[in-house]
Amino acid sequence: MLKIAWRNIWRNPRRSLVMIAAITIGLWAGLFVSGLMIGMMHIRFVTSIEQHVSHIQIHHPEFLIDNNLVHAITDWETLREQLQTNSNVKAFTGRAISNGMLSTATQTQGITIMAIDPASEAKTTGLDKNILEGNYLEAGTKNQVLIGRSLAEKLKLHIGSRMVVTFQNTEGDLVSSAFRVGGIFQTANLVLDEKNIYILQSCLAGYTGRQNLVNEVAVLLNDPELVNSESEALQAIFPGLTVRTWADLSPELAYIQDMGKQMLIMIMAIILLALAFGLVNTMLMSVHERVYELGMLMAIGMNRRKVFLMITLETTFLTFVGTFTGMALGYISTLMLGRRGLDLAPVGGDAMLQYGYPSVVYPMLEPIFFIQLTFLVVIMVFASAIFPTIKALKLKPAVAVRND
Amino acid sequence: MIIKTENLSKIYDERTMPVKALDGINLEFGEGEFTAIVGPSGSGKTTFLNMVGGLDKPSGGTITINGTNITGMPESKLIDFRLHNIGFVFQAYNLLPVLTAKENISFVMLLQKTDPKLMDARAMELLRQVGLEDKANVRPSKLSGGQQQRVAVARALASKPRFILADEPTANLDTASAFNLLDIMARLNKEENITLIFSTHDQRVIERARRVITLVDGRVASDERPGSKN
Repeated sequence: MLKIAWRNIWRNPRRSLVMIAAITIGLWAGLFVSGLMIGMMHIRFVTSIEQHVSHIQIHHPEFLIDNNLVHAITDWETLREQLQTNSNVKAFTGRAISNGMLSTATQTQGITIMAIDPASEAKTTGLDKNILEGNYLEAGTKNQVLIGRSLAEKLKLHIGSRMVVTFQNTEGDLVSSAFRVGGIFQTANLVLDEKNIYILQSCLAGYTGRQNLVNEVAVLLNDPELVNSESEALQAIFPGLTVRTWADLSPELAYIQDMGKQMLIMIMAIILLALAFGLVNTMLMSVHERVYELGMLMAIGMNRRKVFLMITLETTFLTFVGTFTGMALGYISTLMLGRRGLDLAPVGGDAMLQYGYPSVVYPMLEPIFFIQLTFLVVIMVFASAIFPTIKALKLKPAVAVRND
Repeated sequence: MIIKTENLSKIYDERTMPVKALDGINLEFGEGEFTAIVGPSGSGKTTFLNMVGGLDKPSGGTITINGTNITGMPESKLIDFRLHNIGFVFQAYNLLPVLTAKENISFVMLLQKTDPKLMDARAMELLRQVGLEDKANVRPSKLSGGQQQRVAVARALASKPRFILADEPTANLDTASAFNLLDIMARLNKEENITLIFSTHDQRVIERARRVITLVDGRVASDERPGSKN
């Protein structure tokens, strides 16, 4: 039966090749687009974690309510020691954060002032690698500020430009000070880049009178799978602080991942549904051309189960030749571009950065996706084989053998 | 006696425009008979063969084959019955074009779940019997009409049937091929004692048959046994 079914699909090579090509291209395109989307979601997730959210953030609980500089983490030294000795922690950094205003000669903008330790910030978020112009913050420099490219463009600032930053200190007084742009950075999130400016913690200490003032601690783990257990452990050790994971801080990241994967399956299902119509048509034509032959087969003793088996096998072979070829091409193209990356900047420009997506995407497909796709293809095969098989099984041998 | 029909009738389109294709056919066929069923077009020859072959259900009467009444047999059992008891040779050869001559013959044995080790040997033996052992690995498209019909005969024999029904088997053959085929079938009829029932217009077949049944308007007009012509 296998031999007959395989040879039957090549009775009309052109028709079969067209169908196989349709399945191949449909699956290849679907897999490539899926790989691209998964890669985009993944890189967004990774860059959001690595550049902004980190795996865990720790705050004074009051700070989360009013973002006031005064709500600092009081036992920061103990926390720092705890994190330094934890082998699961890859890097961590403490920041003082205050809302403020940035004023130039012509414009004013609300901003968030991030007072950082440049060394630990670089290890945790890689901020130093995102400098486009100028220099990263260095210990000892005075009144230097890092601003985002989007903010610089908006306020027409460049390296060396002067600005006045106004914020409320720990006493509740409004403080203004002049700063110079020491460096311009760009991360994968232009919205945050337009909002955040970075200064030295030591610089802020000059205005608050408090060294080592930390409102927020960001923690990066070696193994992201440990985020929940580490978060719970830290919370247990520091019950007076609020310890939150990335899922608490940015639930949309998890949501986008899960929803995205579900949507990809739906996209593939729709592609397969479209292909199924072509397959049904091809098999119906094949059955119609072989009415006489099928009548003869039933006359000589081929039972209906074997007729069903033969047509299903033909549908299976036709589908799986195209499926394996499409999957192979999808896998290879995703693998190649997954290593090299696909720069979408010429197409999307800054639009992707606006939504937190880097312009260089690395397509990727998890093995489970191929398994799910194979399962969908099997369903498509059986669904496509039903209608032509019913048509074949309805044939009356006595009538069919006269249909020449 | 292996085939018996009693008061066999068939009416097509009973509800709309009834056409009586067979009307009260009472016939018996013994083992080893070589019978030609003749008659004008529309006389019911093919319908009779379809009834006896279990390809169609009668409107009335009974058909008994090897003591088994097949008249009310369910479709699934009928297919199995045909596979093990009846061989068919159709007018248009009906070989599977994707299989070689040997594979076409083996296919029937495959349906019967014959031991694969025996299938090949029997297929080659049958091809030898029809004089086509050198065409074993040739597909039907590369065979002449006569050769294809001989393969069809070999395939009909593959299931070791009690009888073979042939519906106008020589209709598409030239004279030489037709005589060749008839020689083979007559020899097999004699040597293997297989019952042959032909539906035919072909005088060449009629001359070879040992029994000639004439159908007219669905009824048996005559049932003659001329002297053996072989």
